[in-house]
Amino acid sequence: MKIKVRLHGVFRIDRFKEQVRDYPTGTTARAVVEQLRIPTRLVGTVLIGGVHAGIEDQLAEGDVLSILPILGGG
Amino acid sequence: MRFLTSHPAAEPAAVLYHRCTVDLRSGAMRYEDVPCRNLEDVLGGFGRSFQQLAERTVTEAYSDANPLIVNTGLLTGTNAMTGMRAYFSGFSPLKGSKKGLPAAIWSAGSGNFGAKFKFTGLDELIFEGRSAGPVYAVIREGADGPVVELKPAGHLLGLTTHDKIMSLKQQYAGAHFAAIGQAGEHWETNYMGAVALSTDNQLRSGEDKCRFAGRGGMGSLMGYKNLIALVAQAGDKLKPLSEAVKKVNINVVKGGGSARLQPIKRGGGGGTWANYDVLQAFHAVPTNNFRPQGNDLPERLFRENVEKTHEIKSEACWRCGITCHNNVHEKKADGSRGEFLAKFDYEPLNLLGTNLGLHDPDQAAQLIKLGDNYGMDSITLGVTVSYVLSFNERHPERRLLNGATFGDFEKIRELVVGAGEGRIPEVGRGSMRLSQATGETSYAYHVKGLELPAYQPETNPGYAWAIAGGHMSMATYGLLTREGKSDLESWVTGITQTKLNIVGFDMIGLCKFFDIGKGIGTQMVVDCLQSECGLEVTTDEIAGSVRRAFLRGLAMELRQGYTKEEFTLPAEVFEKPNANIKLPPVVASPEFFAELSKRVWAVFEPELEGLLPGPG
Repeated sequence: MKIKVRLHGVFRIDRFKEQVRDYPTGTTARAVVEQLRIPTRLVGTVLIGGVHAGIEDQLAEGDVLSILPILGGG
Repeated sequence: MRFLTSHPAAEPAAVLYHRCTVDLRSGAMRYEDVPCRNLEDVLGGFGRSFQQLAERTVTEAYSDANPLIVNTGLLTGTNAMTGMRAYFSGFSPLKGSKKGLPAAIWSAGSGNFGAKFKFTGLDELIFEGRSAGPVYAVIREGADGPVVELKPAGHLLGLTTHDKIMSLKQQYAGAHFAAIGQAGEHWETNYMGAVALSTDNQLRSGEDKCRFAGRGGMGSLMGYKNLIALVAQAGDKLKPLSEAVKKVNINVVKGGGSARLQPIKRGGGGGTWANYDVLQAFHAVPTNNFRPQGNDLPERLFRENVEKTHEIKSEACWRCGITCHNNVHEKKADGSRGEFLAKFDYEPLNLLGTNLGLHDPDQAAQLIKLGDNYGMDSITLGVTVSYVLSFNERHPERRLLNGATFGDFEKIRELVVGAGEGRIPEVGRGSMRLSQATGETSYAYHVKGLELPAYQPETNPGYAWAIAGGHMSMATYGLLTREGKSDLESWVTGITQTKLNIVGFDMIGLCKFFDIGKGIGTQMVVDCLQSECGLEVTTDEIAGSVRRAFLRGLAMELRQGYTKEEFTLPAEVFEKPNANIKLPPVVASPEFFAELSKRVWAVFEPELEGLLPGPG
């Protein structure tokens, strides 16, 4: 299935800003994070279609997955 | 401190802290060992100072009745990672109720002043009254304990925060410093004076790399008292590092909690600057006085864009393994590092950059440096200036002050300089007073008189119950943006249970980056207290103490005349919802806020009984 993956902040370094990528049916957000070798301890928020989602949530054809770093501090 | 018990929760009076009270009017000093009343006293910081403030009747911040309390926390100056904090508490010239009474406030800062202060043997220093002439205080080790002396400070007047520190450095070897800038000296027209704290990096390099206890105008209170600076001179007194604390520190530095703050080159998230990227995904980066426009303008100050033209050096506070400072330097033609420009933390960068309509890193850096050198709280400064710009945008025919508008760097700079030099009280006295004077209060972005940090209030109704800095005394600023919570139950639980725990760091002497998600009621802190202080405390006891300290702060706000109607958000949030922000608008609706308020007070109010002593 085709998933549009949007990366934010440091996750873009040596990767990309936005890309449409192929994944097997049933792929979870975590699987995408791991496949991109993004350290999960840096992942703060996962959005699917612009809505907050869980890292274990399964993706569907055409989803837009955004992976954001942790927000915090001042 | 002296520990005559290893169980401070059960036997707080068997823990004594060493206090010096200075009467600035007469120069008299009183030294005493004071038994702790409760675990809050033991942990220290605002947990103790707010209990002292609660014993006072203070109707004006600039009065003899208002003390300045300087103290540290139990883990300041220990081997616990980030144990460097010093605290400045008093009644604020800036934050106050509509009844006209000043709110109690504390502000916290890192650098090395706190540890040196602790190493002198003093736990707390209270300044009463005001000196007839400008003085600075020297706290040093004496043969029989700490000694505090007052010295003439006329030669320091008019110097920047950095220059005051470097001047004192020449006289006092082995010392660290706390100093106000010109803003604090002009306390009558500037209520947002900060206290600058020296760092090893600063003293070694000569670069103006201070840290700041900024919120609430404690630098202005010092200025009122004619107390221009503090010197803490002592040899370092760290215990040998135990295996237990070593393990904690490794966890703090390498564990998940601080990963986002570590340098990108070391696999970290690069510090709080990363908030720009996260918030921009929701179009929630404060822009032009907290009105995000739904465009990509904020991206100009993304780290990835600034790095194209500037060198960014990652640095840390003394002995801290969390290398969270992003110090921005010029990039020379040959690619090497040039002059230090400013430290880019999220708050100052946004509130003296994007939120003023400025998207050039050099301009933002100049304003940050000016604010730091004049010694002003960058949050209050930025938000008050953005109010001016917003007024002028709305009223081009009758602009305030020099008529500055969003993006007009030169005129914005004039406002910052003028406020720092005490010439522009309209800015210097903060956005609450300015908006009351203009009669247009709905877009003054303060809550209860203290300006908001750089998180849109539409995303954080928890601001209403913060008892000091809006995001550092109530950690709900990520509940919607980061965690996606928009239901009432999550917000009630966050405000009344989990997110208030952040204030614990401002009791115990640790920086919040120690473990910002969990607070101090953790096994890591228990282990540090056991190893460094020989104290046996449970996580429940710590959590209970933190909660009491928070509620005491809330009770004090009510005592100082705040009504429940003042626990709210800037009216513009409700009157003109911003459709550009791509988050569920529900938490910013008047209906949600009304129900949230009812539920939150239903939890808090019964617990406020009996927390405050009567005025002494």
